Formats: sequence, C-alpha cells, structure tokens
Amino acid sequence: MKLGDTGESRRQIQVMANLLGANDVQAEVNRRHFHRHNCLAVNIIGSPGAGKTTLLERTLTALAADCRIAVIEGDIYTSKDAERIARLDIPVIQVNTGGGCHLDSQMVGKVLPQFTWPGPELLIIENVGNLVCPADFDLGEALKIVVLSVVEGDDKPAKYPVIFRNSQAVVLNKMDLLPFTETDLAAMKRDIFAINPEIVVFEVSCRTGEGLAVWQDWLRQLIRKYQGGAVFPSS
Amino acid sequence: MHEMSLMAGVFKIVEEILDQHEIKRVVQIKLRVGELTNAEPAALHLAFAAYAQGTKAEGAELVIEQVPVQARCRSCGREFSVHGIFFLCPYCQTTGLEILQGEELLIESLEVE
Repeated sequence: MKLGDTGESRRQIQVMANLLGANDVQAEVNRRHFHRHNCLAVNIIGSPGAGKTTLLERTLTALAADCRIAVIEGDIYTSKDAERIARLDIPVIQVNTGGGCHLDSQMVGKVLPQFTWPGPELLIIENVGNLVCPADFDLGEALKIVVLSVVEGDDKPAKYPVIFRNSQAVVLNKMDLLPFTETDLAAMKRDIFAINPEIVVFEVSCRTGEGLAVWQDWLRQLIRKYQGGAVFPSS
Repeated sequence: MHEMSLMAGVFKIVEEILDQHEIKRVVQIKLRVGELTNAEPAALHLAFAAYAQGTKAEGAELVIEQVPVQARCRSCGREFSVHGIFFLCPYCQTTGLEILQGEELLIESLEVE
C-alpha cells in the first residue's frame, strides 16, 4: 500500500485488493481438501424450479451403484431438498443461508467435517435457486453446472451470461414440455454457445427420463478423469 | 442482492487499512467492477450506504469504475473488446479466448483524511 499526498491532510491509499479475497482463500482450502480425498466436487446452479433437486434424485440413484456420493443442499430457510435426498439413503447436509442468495466457500468449508473422509468420490453442492449471485462465488468445486429448464424461456442465457460463461455444462431440463412453450430451443442453444463455446449441453427430461443416461455417463467419466488427475478449468 | 456480501468484503479490507494507518475519515472509495461479474452498481451503492453507517466511511463517496471485457484470441493472438454475449474473435472467428479483463471485483484505492 502506497501513501500519496493529494492535499494538506487528504491522501490516497492504493489498495488493489480483491473483494472476494476471503471467499477465494477458503475456496482454495476446500479445493485442496477435495483433491486430497479424490472427490469430484460439483456446484449445481439454476433458477428456483428449474429441476435441480429432481435432477439429483434421478442422477444419484443411477450413480450410487458404482460410486460413493454425498450432497450439500443449499437453501435459504428449509430442509425440504435435503429430506428428498436423505430418502435415497445418500449422505446429505443442509446448509441454510438464512436469507442469503448464494452459498459461499465458508459455508461449505464449515460443514465438510460432518462427512466421513475419505468418503465420497462425488460431492454435489446444490446452490440456492438463483442464476445471478452464485456465479460470483467460488466454493472450491471442480466445476459448475447450470440446470436450466426450457420452460424458463430462450432469452435466459443472454440475460444471465456470467453463469453460462463460468460453467462447464448445462442441463436443459423439462424437454418433454417444449411443445407447450414458445421457447425457441435452437436460439437458446445458439446463445449458450455464443457465451461459452466450450460448454457441454445435455437435453433431458427428469419426468420421462429422456436424455438422462447420456448425462449420467458423462458424469461417471468425469469422476474417473478427476481421479486420474485431470485438472478442471473451474476456479 | 449478493452485493451485501461483496460490500462486506470491501469493509473488511477498509477496516484493515483503518487499523494500519492514522485516519480520521474516509472521503472516497474506488472500486473496479468487471462487466463479466454480476455486481450491480446501484445495489453496491445501497449496500455501501448500509455498511458505512456509523463508521469512518459514513458520507464517503463510492466511485465504481466498470471494466469492459477485453480478450485475447488463443489462435491469432490479437486482442479485442467483447461486446454483448458473443465470445468470438472478430479477426479469425475462432472461439478460444483468454479473458484479459472484465472479471475483476477490486477495491482500487481509498482517499482519506
């Protein structure tokens, strides 16, 4: 920090410090923890009602046969989502933000000791339903995945570009409802790829099961790649 | 409204600076906010007013410099501004870009008395 006089008593202090510095430090601690225990951590982000928890229910039951899974459920007030996951006999911890619109790395770091380590090979962190705020907070995950339902409208990627830019995959849910909407799927995907050309897109319906096998296989391969030492781009 | 959390970060840093220097009051705080973040200037101003109340920064001016998105093409190496949602090199039309600026959330400087 440099001091520079700009007047008799007024002076300028150069700072150049990151507002998210404290969050980023803890995120790195979390990331190292996951790495040490060979656990792929995934941050799931999407609007309220996009189908995040339903996607987890459909995915985790299929994956639980061949890998150990745990879940952190982020929610403002309730434990409704955690109760749904617990019914599947999958270890789950509820984090209530008490009004907060996103999870941060401290909230995640604080509950990690409640799981048994080494334990899960896949840790799913379901963020608070919100396409805006969670995008700016690194939790220490290996990657972010957006769940977007086609009923939300094809304008959503362009309206919330940061989260699509920062994620490695998009699960387009509720494909079975597409004929009942005005959503232009081609336009929706065009915008997603304009924002992030390297993103992977899955078209699924959690209700009918359409497309889920492809998504689940991708996730299985990702766990193997992570355990094989692959470095993921999320930071 | 994660701007409240971001402002908590600002005041954490400001408090550290207040501890290190002899300062009567903070006159101005300058932030650099990249356009590729979700921080809204209007919400940051609101959060600032709430946090500053009763501190040495009460009444200080909050200046927010918004930083446009600049990128470098990984194929042709040229640098350019990214406008809107199209992350594409305007010279060679490839999509592999390295973001040079536009993702920052920084406290740049304080003016104090």
